Amino acid sequence: MEHTEHLEHTETPKDMKSQIWKTFWILFAFTIVDIVLYFILLPYQNMMKNWVFIILGIVKAYYIVGIFMHMKFERKSLMYMIVLPMAFVVFLVALMLNEGDFTNLLRWIK
Amino acid sequence: MATNTLSTENKFTWGGGKSPFSVSYGKLMMWIFLLSDAFTFSSLLIAYGFIRYSFQSPIHNEIVKPLAHLSDNFVEQMQQAGLFVQDHWPSPELVFNHFPFVHGMHLPLFFVSLMTFILIFSSVTMVLAVEAGHRMAKDEVAKYMLLTIIGGAAFLGCQAWEWSTFIGEGARLYENPFGPKSFAALFFIVTGFHGFHVFSGVMLNVIIYLNVLNGTYEKRGHYEMIEKVGLYWHFVDLVWVFVFTFYYLI
Repeated sequence: MEHTEHLEHTETPKDMKSQIWKTFWILFAFTIVDIVLYFILLPYQNMMKNWVFIILGIVKAYYIVGIFMHMKFERKSLMYMIVLPMAFVVFLVALMLNEGDFTNLLRWIK
Repeated sequence: MATNTLSTENKFTWGGGKSPFSVSYGKLMMWIFLLSDAFTFSSLLIAYGFIRYSFQSPIHNEIVKPLAHLSDNFVEQMQQAGLFVQDHWPSPELVFNHFPFVHGMHLPLFFVSLMTFILIFSSVTMVLAVEAGHRMAKDEVAKYMLLTIIGGAAFLGCQAWEWSTFIGEGARLYENPFGPKSFAALFFIVTGFHGFHVFSGVMLNVIIYLNVLNGTYEKRGHYEMIEKVGLYWHFVDLVWVFVFTFYYLI
């Protein structure tokens, strides 16, 4: 049983090559979407807009880490060890963007 | 089949006879290094986000349209038009609007998009090298590694051009004609730190490429080193996705 598990993890999916190219086109498309959205949303300024770009970034990160870095095919324990700490970083991003906004407000009160 | 199992065992077991997480020691340590490096970049980007929002948002540009003619004193014009001021963050589309060999045309974010595609593409060739390594196809690994090195070098060249254009317009670590000083300072620090990672990655790729040509991994019986350096290279691409998101889009 142990042995089969070892082998399972070293083996890549049979259609790895087509998966790689599929991932490339997905990343390519998301980057285009990013740029197009940037110009569409240019006249508007609010926090929601930033989260659109941050979430698109996280979606791209999912494909890079999952397929390119092979994380989807690793043990779950390894995945959580690496991915969970980064979830807290996203929380810190949210906090600091808001905090920056307040700093800006304070500048104007002064 | 028996020999296959044996070689896999040798490849993945640690000193204690087991392999935690079913990965080799080197690969796990690469993941942990990448996690720590992700924290470093996160702190830089979070600092960027904080400082960006402690200034007023960019003033919406209705003067310069894409493909419009750019005069040589564009920055001064924008200062006079009130688009580059001290208490408003500059709009990235007005700052990064140059393209090599195209002089005097407003091409907002074209060049940085090209840089993004170059890096994504070199990530693809890297993962193709890893895939070829699994099949022990030495020539294919070498071909894809060379393409990855070319991609990385092209990206570095683009960044050098971007920096020299930005510096040529008067941006310094301590000075910024486009608006708040911290805009230029953060640009040099964040992209410089990322560029240094790309440079290190290209150097690692060159070493690996030479080893592939020398048949080092052929003798070792597996191409796991390509996977480990590949992890680093994809990480560099991943960081660029977020540098791009934070620096150019937010």
